[in-house]
Amino acid sequence: MASVTEWWKTVKQARSIWRLTFLYTGLLLAVVIVLLVVLFQLSIGQMSRQQHLQMDNIIQQQTQLAQQLNNDEFIAQFKLQAESSRQYLLTYQTQSKMIGRLNSIPSNLSQCSKLARFPIWLDKYEEIRLISGCSQSLPDGLLIIAIDDEYLYDLKGQFITASMIALCLALLMGLITGLIFSTRVLKRINSINKVALRVESGQLSARIAVSKHNDEYDHMALHINTMLNQLQHSFETIAGITDAIAHDLRTPLGHLRQQLESEIEANLKHNLPSEQLQSMLEKLDEILFTFSAMLELTRLQQQQEQKSQHFKTVNLQQIMVDAVDLIEPLTEEKQQIIKLKSDLEVSIKGDASLLFRAVYNLLENASKYAGDKATISLQLTKNGFIVSDNGPGICDSEKDKVFQRLYRIEKSRQIAGFGLGLTLVKAIIQLHNGSIKLLDNNPGLSVQVEFSQ
Amino acid sequence: MRILVIEDNQTTREYLQKALQEQGYEVDLADNGQDGLFLALEGKYQLILLDRMLPKLDGLTVLSTLRKAGKETPVLILSALDSVSERVKGLREGGDDYLIKPFALSELLVRIEILIQRKGNTSQQLTSTLQVADLKMDLLSHKAFRGGNELTLQPKEFKLLRYLMEHSGQVVSRSMLFEAVWDYQFDPQTNVIDVHMARLRKKVELDGVTPLLETVRGIGYRMVENG
Repeated sequence: MASVTEWWKTVKQARSIWRLTFLYTGLLLAVVIVLLVVLFQLSIGQMSRQQHLQMDNIIQQQTQLAQQLNNDEFIAQFKLQAESSRQYLLTYQTQSKMIGRLNSIPSNLSQCSKLARFPIWLDKYEEIRLISGCSQSLPDGLLIIAIDDEYLYDLKGQFITASMIALCLALLMGLITGLIFSTRVLKRINSINKVALRVESGQLSARIAVSKHNDEYDHMALHINTMLNQLQHSFETIAGITDAIAHDLRTPLGHLRQQLESEIEANLKHNLPSEQLQSMLEKLDEILFTFSAMLELTRLQQQQEQKSQHFKTVNLQQIMVDAVDLIEPLTEEKQQIIKLKSDLEVSIKGDASLLFRAVYNLLENASKYAGDKATISLQLTKNGFIVSDNGPGICDSEKDKVFQRLYRIEKSRQIAGFGLGLTLVKAIIQLHNGSIKLLDNNPGLSVQVEFSQ
Repeated sequence: MRILVIEDNQTTREYLQKALQEQGYEVDLADNGQDGLFLALEGKYQLILLDRMLPKLDGLTVLSTLRKAGKETPVLILSALDSVSERVKGLREGGDDYLIKPFALSELLVRIEILIQRKGNTSQQLTSTLQVADLKMDLLSHKAFRGGNELTLQPKEFKLLRYLMEHSGQVVSRSMLFEAVWDYQFDPQTNVIDVHMARLRKKVELDGVTPLLETVRGIGYRMVENG
């Protein structure tokens, strides 16, 4: 089943290539058809036209003779004419007799020069042949002229068979060439697409293989690779700068924190007020937390490249239960209902603390943004989990943006937070070869996480 | 009580010295791994505060050399490296606790106290019951009683109460409670532990009974025998 759907995907992707293949095959067929028609007209068509011309000539000649001569004279010359003409069967019928090679008049005969086909019996050869002929009324009788053109008909038949074979071959050839062409092109486009997908999922180091052909695709691959190199370089530079800032500021801020703490300690000893210092300390802690979250994010995104070796088998069910246990009193305070559906045994290779953090962050977000009395549910699925709520949800245009570093939705700005939570969650999920999707829960938001391990 | 501080950053080193001396500890200082190891091997300390990144000899090397030499002095690692794997590495090499820089002094002091206490308690007999005033806990049947009345506790609440009772008289920080009960390396960074504690308190301290749980401002909680 899987391979069929896979195949269908490829076919759908290949639509443009198939369109090209069919167009190419169609053109090929049209050219072959035109060639065949011209060939036919120049050979068989020409022959049959000449025959008709000669027949017309004979009829014209005989009609003139019939008008100029009396009947006996006409019959005498006709006998000679009929005997001497090998190619044409001439017959003259008067009321009393029949002169010529035919001994009966076919019933379906029509006026010249419209030809009709009729059978004749040849004694000599003991066979029946189909010949074409027509009749011309003369003052004293009926002139019949016919020609044995069966070979021409055979030839026509053979020509048509040959044409059909030629057309079939052309069609087959067109399709085969198209197919080979398309699969080869598709293969290379797919390899490019695969790399693009890997880059999209965070593997910035993925590059397209370049072949030795040095063709357009290789040129394209080289350009894309160069572009990716530059991208990766700027990414690393930015991440490096952010990290350097966060890291370098952490030490002096840490010292600042120490001083504040000593100050508070001293104030307490001498019974001096320290509320202001306390609130400064809290603000400083927020800054320090944001910094360490940013550093952690960068580290998680870098680990992507060198998949963690310390991964162990982790029971997702246990993590769900623990996360719900931790968030439960918070939701109770807001009169929210939290439901856990985890009747499956699901385990994946991973880092339990990071996964716990991801699940907890998502639950915390749901509780934070869904509002009082909302219902939050956490459901374990075969290869992941779903966190959903019936709060206000997120509109489509913001669904991608919420994963960006430090992005916050306008209307949620008054709620405490740094805009790093979902970014961290996504980095954790990606580190575990997973994907995260935001969907509408109608009403509310549904966050679907799937691991492809 | 003697504490050895191995830390290369002068500001932090002096700050730690001052803070620890104020708490009544005697403090020795080392500004690099080599000197630190030399002092630590003398074995006259109740606790060692060890920085991860040190000149001359790296913190982890100091730690593993110390352990190989058979010295069991409790070691609290201080580090700016806060990834889970770094923490695991530190604890695996024989560290007893791990604190990420920058840390709250109160958190550090609480942890130091617990570590020194723990070392003293290792000879203590394993018990199946815990008791603080009229609060009793049966570890085998997973039941807790206050003045003879059974408390209905969730599994996590039971663990929370157990940790507090095991460390009665000592201050425990929020993050220590979280690590003890949930066993994940991560700082929930919210008041979520306070909410859990408020709930537990409601169950343990019904109206009219002597309060046992004390909130220590800015740090965490303490269970006291006669509050």
